[in-house]
Amino acid sequence: MFRSVPYIGMTIILLFLQIFILDELSIAMWLRPMLFPLIVMLLPMEWRTIWVMLSALVVGVIMDVSLGGAGLYTATLLPLAVMRRWILYVTTHRSVESGDQTSLLSRMSLRQLMIYVAAMFVLHHSLFFILETLSFVTPLRLVATIVLSSLLSLVISWPILRLFISKIVTK
Amino acid sequence: MHRLLEFIKLIYVLVLFVVLEGFALWTYATSSPYTEAKILSRTTAMGAAVSGAVTNVENFFALPEANRQLTERIAELNEEILGLKEGCVDTLYRGDELVEKDSKFRYHYASVVSMTTNRKHNNLILDRGTLDGISKDMGVITPENELVGYVVSCSDHYCVVQPMLNIDFSTGGRLEDGGLCVIWWSGASKYEVEAKEISVYSEPNVGMSVEVRSERLPEGVLIGTVTEYELNSTKSAYSAKIAIAANMSKLDDLLIVENTHYGEIEELMNHTQE
Repeated sequence: MFRSVPYIGMTIILLFLQIFILDELSIAMWLRPMLFPLIVMLLPMEWRTIWVMLSALVVGVIMDVSLGGAGLYTATLLPLAVMRRWILYVTTHRSVESGDQTSLLSRMSLRQLMIYVAAMFVLHHSLFFILETLSFVTPLRLVATIVLSSLLSLVISWPILRLFISKIVTK
Repeated sequence: MHRLLEFIKLIYVLVLFVVLEGFALWTYATSSPYTEAKILSRTTAMGAAVSGAVTNVENFFALPEANRQLTERIAELNEEILGLKEGCVDTLYRGDELVEKDSKFRYHYASVVSMTTNRKHNNLILDRGTLDGISKDMGVITPENELVGYVVSCSDHYCVVQPMLNIDFSTGGRLEDGGLCVIWWSGASKYEVEAKEISVYSEPNVGMSVEVRSERLPEGVLIGTVTEYELNSTKSAYSAKIAIAANMSKLDDLLIVENTHYGEIEELMNHTQE
């Protein structure tokens, strides 16, 4: 139970940050940082996929209700939850067992961590912007939006990620 | 039952994911007319692609049936050819030629490549040439046995036809009552030709049919029907206007008629003139 409190706190902070700050920012149409996928990324790696998926469902529904996504946020977070372990294995060549109690995120090198987070952001942002536009009339603009928004999300989330791993996950 | 439960246990995460994802996508798709239209068009396109692939597979497996039908058709045609060879009808097919049995006339199929009808010297180009056995002076008729014109020049693969709608055109004609005449075109109308030098002993009537009278074509080739006639000023012959039977502005597939004895006739005429 106590182990879950930091994760719940992190979830609330990230949701608050996204809904009340980042979503209100109007930097540019093709520059939209989204931090809430970090919630799915940072959930304990040893968690079974079903729990990660249900957590993603809860986060997605909250986002949809708060921002009027009508299912868009949920639809883009669920694949992230299901593919999390696979992406981790592909990007870092590390596999996780269900009974693994050691925190894998804290044992990853910075490079591996960055590749994992970047891949997750790119996957999420790709799904999100493709579903949002539902059009390939301006593919360059779509690709630019995905790449630049993923990059900005990574830059903003990196200090939060490092802080959370060093202060919470490692302990 | 135990195996079924094991199987469900194995795939329940995937099933749950598909259900939740499907529900989320459906909610999003039906949230606005734009998303509804976009997703509907995408799914329709995907459905069409899948349907097309299924149809291709079905067609592939239906090939034996198509082969059977083709074989049956070949058998029917073989029977027809045998019947023709045994003289049940008056014509025979040889390759793409239709030959009248025991006749000096041979028919070649041809298609119109280009034609004009709005000039004084109109021409018609057909897709058959000397390599197909076509030569100058062959007659050209419609499949309905109506006169079109005569071949005036040939290349290897094409021939030029002088149609009735050419002021240089001239051929012999015969009225229904046997009266002979000369057919020519004045250039006045693309629906009518003129008949001149009709014998005063003939009795032309409106509606009377006029056929070709030429060594280049067999009997029975229709030119048209008389629309009006009159005695000439010297009262020595009739002249008449003939409504052309063939639709000269809608020609497509035609028959080129070859008189296999024409060379002999031409040679004889040349000898006589000398």
